[in-house]
Amino acid sequence: MQSSPNTSAATTVLDARDVEAGYAGKTILRGLNLHVRRGEIYALLGANGAGKTTTLSLFLGFLKPSAGTVLVNGVDPFGAPADARRQLAYIPENVALYEHLSARENLAYLLDLARQHADSRSIDGALSAAGLQPEAFDRRLAGFSKGMRQKVAIALALARQVPVLLLDEPTSGLDPQATAEFNRLLNLLREQGVAILMVTHDLLSAADVADRIGFLNAGQLVEEVAASGDDRFDVRTLHRRYTELGA
Amino acid sequence: MKGILCELRLILRSRLSVASLLLLFMLAALAVLSGLREVASQHETLARVAPLNKQDLASVETRYPQDANGGYPAYYSFHNTWDPPSNAAFLALGMRDVAPYMLRIRALGLQAQLYEGETFNAELALPGRFDFAFVLIYLAPLFVIALLHDLVSGERQSGRLRLLLAMSDGKRLWRRRVALRYGLLLICLGLPALVGALIAGMAAGALAMTLAVIASSLAFWFGLSLLVTARGWRSSATATVLMSAWVVLTLVVPTLANVMLNRSIPVHQGVDLMLAQRQAVHGAWEIPRQETMQRFYANHPQWQDSAALPPTFHWKWYFAFHQVGDESVADQVRAYRAGLLQRQVWSDRLGWALPGVGAQAILHRLADTDLQAQLAYQDRIGVFHQQLRDFYYPYLFNEQPFGRQDYASQPQFTPREPSAYAFQPSAWGGLALAWLLFMLGGWQLAQLRPNQQ
Repeated sequence: MQSSPNTSAATTVLDARDVEAGYAGKTILRGLNLHVRRGEIYALLGANGAGKTTTLSLFLGFLKPSAGTVLVNGVDPFGAPADARRQLAYIPENVALYEHLSARENLAYLLDLARQHADSRSIDGALSAAGLQPEAFDRRLAGFSKGMRQKVAIALALARQVPVLLLDEPTSGLDPQATAEFNRLLNLLREQGVAILMVTHDLLSAADVADRIGFLNAGQLVEEVAASGDDRFDVRTLHRRYTELGA
Repeated sequence: MKGILCELRLILRSRLSVASLLLLFMLAALAVLSGLREVASQHETLARVAPLNKQDLASVETRYPQDANGGYPAYYSFHNTWDPPSNAAFLALGMRDVAPYMLRIRALGLQAQLYEGETFNAELALPGRFDFAFVLIYLAPLFVIALLHDLVSGERQSGRLRLLLAMSDGKRLWRRRVALRYGLLLICLGLPALVGALIAGMAAGALAMTLAVIASSLAFWFGLSLLVTARGWRSSATATVLMSAWVVLTLVVPTLANVMLNRSIPVHQGVDLMLAQRQAVHGAWEIPRQETMQRFYANHPQWQDSAALPPTFHWKWYFAFHQVGDESVADQVRAYRAGLLQRQVWSDRLGWALPGVGAQAILHRLADTDLQAQLAYQDRIGVFHQQLRDFYYPYLFNEQPFGRQDYASQPQFTPREPSAYAFQPSAWGGLALAWLLFMLGGWQLAQLRPNQQ
């Protein structure tokens, strides 16, 4: 584990510089600087109210920063939300899709909404790659477990073939096997060059897959740590820092 | 197109939405069917009465084949007048419910005859007749509310809103959903109206205007619903606000406006005219006959050279006092009509603020079932009644014998043609504003961003 190196502008896909933002006059992010590079998994850790979801909202273009700059692959997500959202896929904490549609139908519908043309073969390929069993493709989501729903959401992200993936508490509620499967998919996406920003409480999950971890406290990124080589993170050290920083 | 099909699939999988659409379609179809049946029934009534009236006239002729001065034939002959429904009447039956569309008149005092058929159908007074206009103005907004109240909140409450908005720029998502719902509701209302128009042989121009009224009326409720929906409140709160708006805009404000109009422009009922005229007519029995004749001759000097009244009853005196009775209420009649028309003007102006009132005004005008149509029919009766007087008076005042050949020469009523459609600026202006509201609602929705989670 080592301190974060300076990010290269050339490979930075998610970029937040000196950002201040909040809701209804209440400032939540105070001078946030965050950069996620292509082929990198960045985990943003923080307690409730630290500003994790607000950070995602900025990149999604749901929130306008009161100061600073936010860019998704060079595009201002608030100024040009459609252009920015074409660059990213988002998986919310609780994956809620259409219960009365099948996995295939959900993907077809949502991909169409994203103006992405996808034939049934590519949809099936994405569902398979996400680990969903073929017999579940045509079943309505009403009978799916949380893990299966998560797989459908991941399949959606895979089918999107976008350079950025935003994840909100992705392993919340998943059993260990599903978490491991999910992490495998994240690694796969990283190898494909996707920049992944995950916000989470789950320090262990972050330690498993992240290349860098940022500690967010009261709207500020108080520390960043990066995995070094194959050693990954030392969970005990991470936890100590997490506690010390109040994240 | 594929996107719309995806949305359609979503709607079709929602039982509540499908049930709502089917119900509206059935209501609109029933309303059109009911309107067509009512119009057919009115045509049938008119067709049935015509030969009966001929029989009635023939019986008078049989009874009085020769008369000294036409008094008996004039008194006993009822002449049929009628106002056939227009081809668009099935859409909005309007005043054909409460005002007669057929009246048998005699050459006696007109006013009493015009209004003795004025009735108030208590059963229909409150809800009005179940016709297409009723479905469009009162019921369709409820279906708009049903389909739109949870457009945003439903997605938010099910946790999909952030994901959906992350998939597109929002405009695309809402545009498709709103367009589909709008299109489906338009079909539910427009298709029965279209089929009804084809069956009734409605003119293409009137049909086009009807479809424009349907589209604009829906646009108003869509605009309002989108404005409220875009606030992002919970479904129940959104539905409550929209239902309150429906109550206020379709029931409370029009009723209050009607009460205000009635108070600020007081108009007697037609039956009051009838009573006033009858009072004058009956009073004539109590005053010297010559006094009545002098009043009559003052206004109709062409008959003043008529022979003096005999000491016994004479028909010319009888008909003269009926006409004097009519003339005694002439000012009241003018005031009555002016008051009704003034109310209509103000009622039309309400169309600027209340598109439902505007839509109703346009549909009733297209259907030729409004006040203007009722007054036009009365005018037609008035003209015919004058023809009857002009026909009988030479016999009465010149003591001219009335024979069989004279029966054949009696005036024949010809019904009016439906009034030509005249542009109603207030009503169409209000409906044009509805489109602005629709665009505003759409714009507001496109700006929607999920609240902090």
